[in-house]
Amino acid sequence: MGLPDSSGGLLSELDVDAFRRLFPLRFYESHLAKSTRPDGRPLDKARDTSSALGAVASADGSALVKIGSTTMLAAIKMEVMTPSQESPDEGCIAIEFHMPPICSPIVRPGRPAEAAPVVSKQLSDTILSSGMINLKELSLISGKAAWMVYLDIYCLDADGALFDAALLSAVAAFSHLQIPVVSMNDEGKVVVMSEENEGGKEPVNKEKRKLTLCSIPFSLTCILYKNYILADPTAEEESIMETLVTVVLDSSGQLVSLYKPGGSVLAYTSAIQDCVALTRQRVRELQTILDEATAGMEVD
Amino acid sequence: MAGATPTTYSPSPTTRKTKSLIFRNDDVDWVRTDGRDFHQCRPAFFKIGAVNAAAGSAYAEFGNTKVIVSVFGPRESKKAMLYSDIGRLNCNVSYTTFATPVRGQGSDHKEFSSMLHKALEGAIILETFPKTTVDVFALVLESGGSDLPVVISCASLALADAGIMMYDLVASVSVSCLGKNLVIDPVLEEESYQDGSLMLTCMPSRYEVTQLTITGEWSTPKLNEGMQICLDACAKLATIMRECLKGPDSALEE
Repeated sequence: MGLPDSSGGLLSELDVDAFRRLFPLRFYESHLAKSTRPDGRPLDKARDTSSALGAVASADGSALVKIGSTTMLAAIKMEVMTPSQESPDEGCIAIEFHMPPICSPIVRPGRPAEAAPVVSKQLSDTILSSGMINLKELSLISGKAAWMVYLDIYCLDADGALFDAALLSAVAAFSHLQIPVVSMNDEGKVVVMSEENEGGKEPVNKEKRKLTLCSIPFSLTCILYKNYILADPTAEEESIMETLVTVVLDSSGQLVSLYKPGGSVLAYTSAIQDCVALTRQRVRELQTILDEATAGMEVD
Repeated sequence: MAGATPTTYSPSPTTRKTKSLIFRNDDVDWVRTDGRDFHQCRPAFFKIGAVNAAAGSAYAEFGNTKVIVSVFGPRESKKAMLYSDIGRLNCNVSYTTFATPVRGQGSDHKEFSSMLHKALEGAIILETFPKTTVDVFALVLESGGSDLPVVISCASLALADAGIMMYDLVASVSVSCLGKNLVIDPVLEEESYQDGSLMLTCMPSRYEVTQLTITGEWSTPKLNEGMQICLDACAKLATIMRECLKGPDSALEE
């Protein structure tokens, strides 16, 4: 399968696996010509996606997301800070994306992956600019105390479309987030209220246990190659065909951001429009997956 | 959020409660926080093939302790390495920032890395992959106590999944000494109040110990007792691990 009929001689003697490794581009082209991909997907179809909330008990909110083999674990820890003078009634969100050596053969301990800081920056830009979270909701006592939200996303298995999986896990972790009930103690520090409450201290944030998430961002990465558009690429596809376009839309279909980091194929307007259209379909799928995951939590 | 990061603190209460007194009190029959007997391990769950990008991998969950281990190779050794007739083993253990109750740095754990190396080295047939290196990388997703023993057992399973030749699976169990009691497979809280700890790593089928670490104050009879319960627990653990290797979904609970 996959071998072009015209290539006789040496090539026909190679088995499929060797051909795939030696001539990856020709291997892919023969598939693309038949509008299919080596893993059996049509060009515009994303891989199976799943999401589980509450994977980490030691965190205030967490989620495990899988897109195909790509696995992301996101967890949120809440800490307290003194807000800055410019914005006394706003909290803060710090987002970090990690690629530990377990996730891919190309990452070694002590040598961080090149992709990690790039994805990290893209994620915080997207999440902070999408307006999903109102930073005012993170305020505890105006000018004195506010929440610092540490969101850490770990890639456990890297098989392409890292940003898409990371963003979905981040959003899922926020939807799982349960803000601890805290009170101010005598030393002016904010502490978590325990079950056996001491001395009738009033909680500072009784009502604000959940964040209101408005206009949730979802994304889809596509590969542009010749006239083909491949949605949700695997790591192999990303390494062979280098032009990537990532479109981020919010739940109402508004464009949040669009990345096309270089690549040899120039993106025509029509190709970009096709990518946006594919993303629009994908947003609906992802919204359903997220809704199912949160509904599953509420039943428990 | 680069630039001036404000100093933050965790709102979780850090006050040590009177719990330590209960642990220390030899007259009171205290129960463990998770209701286990003193000589009862947490239910062990193993799954192999958790990471597709790796040559072999395993996920282990003992109560709240959750670790993932990936094995890469045998592959080319680092350029700077001298020629070696036998294979090399390279180990690394790191924690996620959210693994511990208070947010950490998520950095490498050098001590555990070297202990993992020493625990596994004796069990691997290094002659089978001359001149190359096998990398064993562990990530502690959540720390719930007895982290290192879980990492070691999980790593040996990942090595088996990668098809690396070993004399036997390596199982590891630790025991904490709390007052006059020995508690096996301690949770984080028990570990923080312990008077002494004993960690035993062995190849149960061969009845050989690859690593034994003892800290704190131990009397000889107690030491013997501790080693014996560890050996018994390792043998049980190894059967669970073997079950996991045999069937695709035969994850057994103890």
